[in-house]
This record gives sequence, structure tokens and C-alpha cells, in this order.
Amino acid sequence: MKVHIRHWRMVITIGLLLSITLSGFAYAALGDRLLGRGSKGSEVTELQKKLVQLGYTVGTVDGKYGSKTEAAIRRFQKEHGLRVDGLAGTQTIKELKRLTGQSTNASGKAVGYKNIDTNLLARAVNAEARGEPYIGQVAVAAVILNRIADPAFPKTVADIVYQPRAFSSVDDGQINLPPSASAIRAAQEAVTGSDPSGGALFFFNPAKTSNKYIWSRPQIKQIGNHMFTK
Amino acid sequence: MHRKLWIGAIALALLISLGWGWNEYRLAGEYRLAAENNNRRALNDFASHLDQLETDLAKGNVASNPAQKILYLSQVSSKSEAALKDFAQIPAQQTGLSYVGQFLTQSGEFARILAQRVAGGGAITSEEETTLRDMHERLMPVNQQVQDLILRMDTEKLVWTDPDPSWRQRLGLGTQVAEAAADGSEAPSKSVSSGLDQLDAGLQKLPPFSYTGEYSTRVVAKPLGLPAGEVTKDQALEKARDFLSKIGYADATPEFSGESQTELACYIFNYKESYLEVSRQGGAIVLYRDQRAIEPKTLKVEDASNKAKAILQALGWQQVAITSSEEFGSYVQFDAVYEKDGVRIYPDKVRLMIALDNGQLVGFDATPYYAFHHERTFPAKLTMEQAVRKLRPNFQVLESRLAVIPKSGNKEVYSYEFRGRYQGEEYLIYLNATNGAEEKIQRIIKTPRGEYLK
Repeated sequence: MKVHIRHWRMVITIGLLLSITLSGFAYAALGDRLLGRGSKGSEVTELQKKLVQLGYTVGTVDGKYGSKTEAAIRRFQKEHGLRVDGLAGTQTIKELKRLTGQSTNASGKAVGYKNIDTNLLARAVNAEARGEPYIGQVAVAAVILNRIADPAFPKTVADIVYQPRAFSSVDDGQINLPPSASAIRAAQEAVTGSDPSGGALFFFNPAKTSNKYIWSRPQIKQIGNHMFTK
Repeated sequence: MHRKLWIGAIALALLISLGWGWNEYRLAGEYRLAAENNNRRALNDFASHLDQLETDLAKGNVASNPAQKILYLSQVSSKSEAALKDFAQIPAQQTGLSYVGQFLTQSGEFARILAQRVAGGGAITSEEETTLRDMHERLMPVNQQVQDLILRMDTEKLVWTDPDPSWRQRLGLGTQVAEAAADGSEAPSKSVSSGLDQLDAGLQKLPPFSYTGEYSTRVVAKPLGLPAGEVTKDQALEKARDFLSKIGYADATPEFSGESQTELACYIFNYKESYLEVSRQGGAIVLYRDQRAIEPKTLKVEDASNKAKAILQALGWQQVAITSSEEFGSYVQFDAVYEKDGVRIYPDKVRLMIALDNGQLVGFDATPYYAFHHERTFPAKLTMEQAVRKLRPNFQVLESRLAVIPKSGNKEVYSYEFRGRYQGEEYLIYLNATNGAEEKIQRIIKTPRGEYLK
């Protein structure tokens, strides 16, 4: 009988210990420990999700800190003035958390991300002006915003971007690619009022377009490979 | 024995591929049908909204009692918005300006302006009555033609867009269909989109409406704030070098890379990874952007703000004050506006970007300032106490000042700016400085990158 009780006690103790350690693993929050090449788990998944949200691609979000995640972290660190070491330490994670947080009103109540239009704008910039200089990307975003202000065009970002045949990137599906970090930044900048296009309503690549209509528009300036026109 | 096995395998492969092909064919058919249904829905909705718009416009014309007038005019504006949304979903051939869209926007906006005026106790002038009638006159044939298109879809099997050029045309042996349609040629349309193009061409020939719209343009016809006198390319180059040396690039050798043809025509220069525009009129630095790699940050936002102030001084911008900042990671963006006699002139804006590694200027945009800056005269105004009394009760004022704010249609309003709290939210409220009318309300949102006005 005595042996029996001792046996049970042991089982319970081991069970308790196991459940404590395991739950520690399962619920480890992002920022509790340094993450680097080879790290695995739900924290890495969370990290990857935040990177993707800010436009740093990690391949698939799989909870494994591989070479792509490391490269994304490096790019994030470079573009945010952090020491570039490819490790997700306190500083890096703090900055990631801050930038992916929701907006708040004056009394601190969360009111959502407030970036729905910026997000679609960033997708359009990414699809239309990938590989263009950054200022050319801001200009492409500004063209879409200029169209909203123009009486001859629809009045929302979605209506303009998805206007049939308006953008070739919608027809070939590139619009659905996740936007890059620089496209997101360009969209944010255009939304706050920058317009390097000089009030343009159209843009095209002179080397690739023979469309008469677009060539007939008064030209404003060329930035990178894009000609911006009225 | 061996041969039989082979024949069996090939037959099986054939069967599998046939099954696969049939399945793909069926799927493609489903997708086509889904797209077709969407297009039809858009066109039918468009026609239906146009029809209601036409009726409401007629009723708005005849209504004489204010309540009825407001009702129909507001319906005109909401119906035209709905029609515009449908119109944007119909497959089109061209990416050009659409006069149908323009017409809908204008009539909706005009009706809204009138409705607001009547609601505020105002009256409609006889000229405006004429414009309203004119709009109705123009809408009727548009409405007819769209209904005709729908009828022809059933009787003539109209397609949505003109067929793509055949391989013969692609080889240059024929004219491109799309371009012929874009010229507005009057041949009977073979597709819905060319029918709409013709409608567009018809509207294009009509004279513009005689009313001043309110829609905001982001550009001015002529820049108001540029210094007088043309500069040559060489003089502009000197200005560019001077600017670059003041922001830490001594002995820079910018290279000419083109010209822009806007109202604000500029010479464009490149230097290392930076882009610079110098205005042809007055030789002012209008736009600058440095794309250099930015090292790990050593500065805080407040330090950057001090750097920005110092740079503004060095560049000769003594009369602008920094009003907002937005953090972009490795650099901070500041907006500074012109201040005169304690009045903040928001349209005259300059934007700066300061790198957080060494405090260097990496971005500068004075386009709004040069576009809008001019000498302003301020009319007689209410006193601050009188203005405060016009605010709603319980609005807790945190800051107040005089300001000039832009209003849609390139107009400006001289107003009192109140920053304050109401029920846990923070707002900027602008009251007209002359009569105390509420001109604009902005809600302040705190985003991870800084404050944002919406």
C-alpha cells in the first residue's frame, strides 16, 4: 500500500514538472529570449508575421528561423537604424512590436491599424514600380491619389486600382503580391502629402509602351524608367 | 506481352489526360461565367442608377419647397456616386480620362453643393437653375445610350471589349482595333466598351458646365511663391552645388539628367545616390532626395528635430516652424510651415527628412511652399474669446492659435485653430476667423510612427 502511494506521488510530481516546462515553451512570448538562426517555435512564427506585415518577406511563415528570416531581419535592422547582426534581440523585437502595433486615440484606446488604403496603395506601388528608385515609387502612389482628386476618376483607392484595364499589374495578378517595405514606406509618404510626380495622372514606361493615347498626354518628367504625364 | 502492357499504359494516360482536360475546361467555364455575371451586374446597376439619377434630377428641377428640393438634390448626389462606382467596374478598353466619370462627379457634386446651400437657408440662383437643367438635358441621351447598349447585348450579342488583335494584326498587317476605338471613330460599336467610348467622345464635345467646382486639385495653375527671373542650366547647377555643400556634401559634382515640364518646371540633377530639382524660374531648390545607405542610429527624434531647425536656418528658411514629425525608422520626416505675425500658414509647407545616423538632411520638399506662398491680407476677425464661445460645450481646449488652412478647390480660410479633447478623443477644430463658422474638423490618431490627422 505504501509503495503504491509513493508511486503515485512520483507520477504527479513528474507530471507537474513536465506541464510547467512545456507550457513555458508553448507560451513563451516574443521578446523573452534572443532569437537567431535555428530558433523554432511560436515566437518565431510571431516574429515572421510581424516582418511580413512590415513588408519583409520570409518565404513561408513556418516558425523556423532560417536563412530567409535572417535576411529579412538584417534588412529590417538596416532600414531602421539598428545594428545589423541578423539576430532578433530586445532592441529589434521592441522596434518590430512598436511598428506593428495598432493606432490609438487620445485616451489610448486602440482604433485599428488605420492603414487599409495605404496597404492597397503599397500593393499597387509594389506591383507597378518594383525596382524603381524610391522617389519614383512615391510618385506612383501620388498618381493614384491625384486621380482620386480628379473629377474624371473614381473616388476610392480600390476603385482606381481595380478599374478594369487601368493597371496591367491587376490583370496579371502581381497586385496580390505582398508589398515590399519600400513600397509601404512610399505609400505612407504619399498619403501624408508628398507628390514628386508633379501632379501627374498617368505614368508609363516609354521603352515598353506604344499606346498612342498615353504618348499624347503632356509629359511632366521622367523618374527612373517611368514617364509621368498629365 | 510487353506490347500489350505499353498499349494499356498509353490508353490509361490518354484517359487521365482527357479527364483532366475536361475538368479544366469545366472550371474555366465556371470562372468565365462568374466574370460575366459580375460584368452584367455592374452594367445593369450602372444603367439602373443612371435612370434613377435622371428621374431625380428632373424632380429636383421642378421641386419648389426647400424640403423636397433638398431631398431630390441629395438623391442626385448619392445616385451619381453609385453610378460612378458601377461604371468603374465595367470592363473598359482604355485607361484614359473618362468624360462619363467626370460628368457624373460634377453633377453629383453640384447637386450636393446646392442641397447644402438650401439646407442652410440659402437660395439657388437662376444661373444655377439653368446649369441644373443643362445637366439633365445632357444626362438624358447618356441614359438612353446605356439602355440601348443593354438592349443590344441581347439582340446583337455584344461582347464586353473589342477582340484582341489577331495574329495578322500583331504582325503589323492590319490596324489595331483598340486604337481605332480610342480615336472616337463613329463606326457602330461592336462591344460594350467601345459603345461607352463613343458615349465618352460625345460628351467630350460639349462645352464645360459654367460653375466653379469644389473638387480639390493638388496642383496650382501657376506657382505663386517662386522668385522672379529665369535661370540657366549653369546657374541652376551652381544653386545645386551650393545647396549640397550646405548640407554636408562639399565640392559636389551634380550631373544634369533632364528637365521637368510642370507648371513648376525644373532642371533635374543627380549626385551620387541623390536626386535634386532646381526650379527654372528663380532657381529654387524644390525637391531633394538622398538614397544613401543609413548607418545604425545615434540620434533620437528630439536630436533630429534640433538638426532640422539648424538646417532650416542654414538654408535660409527662417520663417518656418516645425509642426509635425513622423518616424520612418532610419530617418524622421518633419513638416514645417510658414508663420507670419503668429499666424500659421498651412498651405506654405516645407518637408524635411533627417537621417538618424549623423543628422544629415536626406530629403527636402518645398513644392507646396513654392506653389502656394504669396502675400496674404488678413480680414477683420473675431476675438479669441468670441471664437471660444462658438465651440461646443465641454470641448476642452489644449492649444489655440490663428491659422490659414487650405480648403478644397484651392481656396484658403483664415481661421482659429483649436486643439482639444472631447469625450476621450483629441481633435483639431477650425473656426472661420471672420464669422466663427466651423470650417474643418480633424481627429488626431496616434500611429506607431507619430500623430496622424484624419
